[in-house]
Amino acid sequence: MSTAVEVSKLVKKYGNNTVIPGLTFSVKQGEIFALLGANGAGKTTTLECIEGIRTYNGGDIRVNGRLGVQLQSSSLIENITAMEAYKLFCLWNKAKVDKEILQSFGIMEFRNKQYRMLSTGQKRRLHLAIALINDPDIVILDEPTAGLDVEGRVSLHNEIRKIRDSGKTILMASHDMAEVESLCDRIAILKEGKLAFLGSADELTGQHFGESRITIHARNPFPQVKLVYSKADELEKNHFTVTTTELADALYELLTLLKEMDNEVLDIKIERASLEERFIEIAKEGA
Amino acid sequence: MKAFLYGVALQWKLDLRNKGILITYYLVPLFFFLFVSTIFTSINPTSKDTLIESMTIFAISMGAFLGTPIPLVELYSGDIKKAYQVGGVPLWTGVINNFISAFIHLLITSLIIYIIAPIGYDAKLPEYPFRYFLFLAFFIITCISVGTLLGLYVKSVTKLTMYSQILFQPSLMLSGIMFPTDMLPKALEYVGYAFPATWGLKIFTSPNPKFLWFLPLIICFVTACIMGIYKLSRITKE
Repeated sequence: MSTAVEVSKLVKKYGNNTVIPGLTFSVKQGEIFALLGANGAGKTTTLECIEGIRTYNGGDIRVNGRLGVQLQSSSLIENITAMEAYKLFCLWNKAKVDKEILQSFGIMEFRNKQYRMLSTGQKRRLHLAIALINDPDIVILDEPTAGLDVEGRVSLHNEIRKIRDSGKTILMASHDMAEVESLCDRIAILKEGKLAFLGSADELTGQHFGESRITIHARNPFPQVKLVYSKADELEKNHFTVTTTELADALYELLTLLKEMDNEVLDIKIERASLEERFIEIAKEGA
Repeated sequence: MKAFLYGVALQWKLDLRNKGILITYYLVPLFFFLFVSTIFTSINPTSKDTLIESMTIFAISMGAFLGTPIPLVELYSGDIKKAYQVGGVPLWTGVINNFISAFIHLLITSLIIYIIAPIGYDAKLPEYPFRYFLFLAFFIITCISVGTLLGLYVKSVTKLTMYSQILFQPSLMLSGIMFPTDMLPKALEYVGYAFPATWGLKIFTSPNPKFLWFLPLIICFVTACIMGIYKLSRITKE
């Protein structure tokens, strides 16, 4: 898989304040890649450097293909209608008004409504449609579903999947962990402009990287578990939670112990750390 | 070219939907014209000789200083600028579209005054209509260039109101529109020379305007153009 976007040793300073001290990552063609990070981590700055609307002080950015951009805080003239705005951008990009896109994004329903009268979801859909005008190879979405209700999110997620299915690369910044987990192939977590994690959501939450929780509910009490796992949490005499980084070994030991005691297992639950927990953990750990 | 022309037509349409613009381009200037003309012509019948010129200068000063900058402040100080940049719409189109649109609006207002004043108030028509409209176009362009400069340099609509009034109020009081400038204290008369309206009125009302009277307006226009281009290039790079 070839590279769609390559960011190499990117440095960005605001005055004397270095917000990105040397960031390196690449986005593969056809994937959905998310930049995660707390406020001020450098996500939007990084995206704006890639988009070309912000200059940077060092490093290199290579973009292999046409870019389509939906900004985090985008706006249009408040009394322009959705259709007028779309047509204006089409004309400047020498593109035809694509009624199919307008239909699929539901823009035809509000095409004559002025921008200030549009809901947040309608504005997002309009900006997404505008971002796709020049048939970009790479689509950059900065917080695409911020401020949307559940229905709006689900609808926009479907549109984003459709864009990916059409062969485009998507680079997005988001705060929404559920969104990132369900949509993205790979994630980069930024902390103070540095890369704190790069990999898939599974890698981030998986046992090799993080901790897992095993909750066992047995027929009879089994205090012996404390001998094996001194930090096991006792919920009840017959109900324990064990946190471990070695899931398979711990599970084997616990089940063996219960079998030796002839104690029947009523319920067993394995939970991996959620993306949100891992994100918070990484944010605390630092780069 | 198609995109540019669409942008100009769209800007004109958007202006008509903008209450703030309509008020400053049409409503207040024309209401002021009707109101003041009724009073002036009954108090001082000789005001009919310069009614068209003075009311036109008032309307243009108001529209250009209070109305023209509004769309520019909205465009260049907010997120619309970024949307244009990433969407492939050149930022200079905002200035040019607004300039052309403002010119058409102010020309229409001037024409309304030109047509109504003789009918409603027995105002004297300019002796040389062709020359009058040539000077009118030049005066509108100069005033819009100053308004454009305001729109590019001021970053919020609240501040814009203040700066626009700093330009507009003296234009109204010190240029000779409301009363002859020789009635003013000398110091204020000199201050009045800093405003395009003063020179505009001199040029419009004189049978033989001197080239020297055009010079302040030419300097004003050229300076506004240079400063505007500089600021626009800075905005583009920001």
